[in-house]
Amino acid sequence: MQAQSIDHLALLPLYLAAASAAVALFAGRFAGAFAMVGLAASAVAAVWVAAGPSRATFAVGEWFSYAADDAAMGASALFAGLTVLVLAVSGRRTPEYCFLLAVSAAGGIALAGSRDLITLIVALETLTVPLYVLVAKPGRDGAEAGATFLIASVTSSATALMGAALLYAAAGSVHFEGLAGGLDGAHAGLVAAGVALTLGGLGFKLAAVPLHAWAPLVLERAPLPIAAYLASASKLGGALAVIWLVHFGLAESSAASSAGIVLAVLAVGSIVVGNVAALVQRRTVALLAWSGIAHAGYVLAPLAALTTAAGRGDARAAAAAAFAYAVFFVLLEAGAFASLTAVRGEDEDGGRVAELTGLWRSAPAQAGVLLVAVVGLAGLPPALAGTFAKVAVLEWLAGSAVWLAVVVAAGAVVGLGYYLPLARTILLGRGETAAKGRFGWAVALIGVVLVAVGLAPQLVLEFTALSQ
Amino acid sequence: MGVILAACVALPLLGAALTWWLRRGDVGVAAAALALLAAAVLPAGRGDGWWHELDLAWAPAIRLDFSLSVDGVSWPLVVLTALLGLLCCVHNTRAGGPPTLTALLLAVQGASTAVFLADNAVLFFVAFEAVLLPMWAVIHRYGIDETRRAAAVKFALFTVAGSLLMATGLFVAVADAGTADLGAIIAGGGVGEGVSLLVFVLLALGFAVKAPLWPLHSWLPAAHTAAPTVGSVLLAGVLLKLGTYGLIRVAGGLAPDGAREAAPVLAVLAATGIVVASLVCLAQAELKRLIAYSSVGHMGFVVLAFAAGGEAGIKAALFANLAHGLITPLLFFLAGAVKDRTHTGLLSELGGLRMAAPALAGLLGFASLASLGLPGLAGFWGEAFTVYAAAERGGAWFALAVVAAFGAFLTAAYLLRMLKHVSHGPPSTAVAGIGGVSAGEAAVWSPLVAATLALGLAPGPLLDLFATGVL
Repeated sequence: MQAQSIDHLALLPLYLAAASAAVALFAGRFAGAFAMVGLAASAVAAVWVAAGPSRATFAVGEWFSYAADDAAMGASALFAGLTVLVLAVSGRRTPEYCFLLAVSAAGGIALAGSRDLITLIVALETLTVPLYVLVAKPGRDGAEAGATFLIASVTSSATALMGAALLYAAAGSVHFEGLAGGLDGAHAGLVAAGVALTLGGLGFKLAAVPLHAWAPLVLERAPLPIAAYLASASKLGGALAVIWLVHFGLAESSAASSAGIVLAVLAVGSIVVGNVAALVQRRTVALLAWSGIAHAGYVLAPLAALTTAAGRGDARAAAAAAFAYAVFFVLLEAGAFASLTAVRGEDEDGGRVAELTGLWRSAPAQAGVLLVAVVGLAGLPPALAGTFAKVAVLEWLAGSAVWLAVVVAAGAVVGLGYYLPLARTILLGRGETAAKGRFGWAVALIGVVLVAVGLAPQLVLEFTALSQ
Repeated sequence: MGVILAACVALPLLGAALTWWLRRGDVGVAAAALALLAAAVLPAGRGDGWWHELDLAWAPAIRLDFSLSVDGVSWPLVVLTALLGLLCCVHNTRAGGPPTLTALLLAVQGASTAVFLADNAVLFFVAFEAVLLPMWAVIHRYGIDETRRAAAVKFALFTVAGSLLMATGLFVAVADAGTADLGAIIAGGGVGEGVSLLVFVLLALGFAVKAPLWPLHSWLPAAHTAAPTVGSVLLAGVLLKLGTYGLIRVAGGLAPDGAREAAPVLAVLAATGIVVASLVCLAQAELKRLIAYSSVGHMGFVVLAFAAGGEAGIKAALFANLAHGLITPLLFFLAGAVKDRTHTGLLSELGGLRMAAPALAGLLGFASLASLGLPGLAGFWGEAFTVYAAAERGGAWFALAVVAAFGAFLTAAYLLRMLKHVSHGPPSTAVAGIGGVSAGEAAVWSPLVAATLALGLAPGPLLDLFATGVL
């Protein structure tokens, strides 16, 4: 029996992330620094690999389980970068904390490269399991958050796994490319059930309706840096899992129509529930969490229009639009949560919206980034990152499913109903207490990134194009 | 000349940033003056069709190019925007207003100029959206009324709803045509017949909110009443023009077939709007609210002329659009001056302005007469041609022409009623002892007065200019 040859270069970002996790565990008080340097190196490696020719490894015949193309490497760099940001706003932490975050990042990087159902679900679990520990602060609230997250996560993983098993039973393959061909002659009911269970389960990570209710509760009670991670890197993981499965596996098969229907239900449900619930929130993190559910709907909406799309080129455009929106969205969420952590303190909760009054005067840099993020989430210029995200989604939907474009537009209008008051609160008035305004460099970094992708959206749109 | 096109957009935005950074209003005035200069030299070296074009790639993945172009239709609006921007900056700086307000005004000016010049559908949408936040801040932060917060939210929600529907329409058109180059789609005869009506309805809904067309106008009176004087001036003179320009150039250009099909509906709404706005004005007790509602009527004429179509109709729409952009800002400046001096806008508390401040009363009379369409002033030609263009189509359109003419008659009635209350009668306690027109005020208002007279006496050159436009 011949051993399988492995392209270690394709796995370099993953190796670096895993190594930084291992080093951090034993680095004592320098754990945070080592983890950050290691993950930054992983991000650089991802960019370097992407610059070279497209790589793939772990092949069974023509099908690869792990790919290192532009999309995967772009997402890997993003996972590593977001984790560095979270570590930077975490303050002084135990080595275990840094280890767990780095492991989660390694899971994200593996997820970005995964091209079969097993790798995808294992990577997603690697991304999630460390968070069971991290979300639980000492005390009753923390225990509640941890237990909720654990139960919701295990349930959804089981759901996704059941769906994956059904898909395997129907197609006879776990490779995405195998699914594409294998599902064609399969039992329709089996395929529909498999698709619905898998997508519904994966939607949990993205906090899409109906598995959304954990998000506001957990984000509100988790430490703020972990909430930042859950809202950015973890959500990117959920989005990638759904996009990869749909784009590489289901789009070309006979399951495309049932996937489209499931995703349409998830998308419209998320947009409606998220926006309406966000309108009545008085606490900052809860508002961002509920509105994040609405944004999950916007991510899924382009994929939902797949049923009306015809041909390979259109399916690619749908996945590219969803991917682009997801990337812009998690960057904006990272900006919002990082600056919120900086003004509230890494061990505090998000507090009420009213407590941000006059932030512009007390901590201008942090308030500026928070403002850019909030305005971007609302999709308005001058925070162009959010505008381009909306353009990417609307442009695709207008050409394929106008009714969904109208739903997205209506959601964005409602969104203005809570984003504008939030922006106004930050900008106007005088705060009662001086905000802390810490982590200046970390916040400035994500601020620069947000401005850069706003001015040069091609930076993001290039690797989200899924052109290979 | 591409540089100058970019400068028309960049100078106000740069000025906004510098004004805000240095906290100096005079920097903003200088930037606005340079922007007006840049806009003024655009006709140099022009040819037929598009005068100048600038095309830079930005984000090809979403079909976004930084492409600007100017022609006989957009240039007058660019100059109008630059002129009003400069006047507002001067007014605000002279009155000792906050520099941040000047910066916001410049941001509105820059984004609006980008809308008028945009030759790319995605850029058009981005610029259209960019107007929203600064204007929201102007109303919300610098409003003069206790209703300013509610008015600002209403303005923002209506505008975003409209602009997102418009964006959907634009992207349907882009998907159908396979390019986001507005000029190319228009030159190619618009989108295919299958989606034409859909595209037009989506675009028209978006622009009708902005224009505003009855019954989507309800944000306008609230916003105008609450906004500071300079905010009202820009709202009336520039923001409403975004809607009508979009309707004529973009909606009409991208979906000519849909426009033809939807014209009767548009025309009926416009004619209804003219009469309803006039009737509301007749019963209106507040000066700024009255002028705001009169805008709904005037924009009704523009939409009716566009719906009537044909060369006469389009020219009438463009002319009435521009005339409104000169006259109504003048009225808002004057109303602001009256309110500043008397601290009231209620018609019942005003009176006798003719005795207390004859120059102010005279200017108010002049602007009112121009607004009601007195022959020889700018307001006349647009509305007269509108009625003519509608009547010429015969049949039911003739009835609409009659309704519009009746609306014009009502317009005269409510403006004269307003003048009777404000100018005539015995001086009320509010107007007693108020100051006359200062030299600074006269300097700000005189360009608008001169342009109103010039367009009224010699409409020919502007109509010829419109004829060279790409539509």
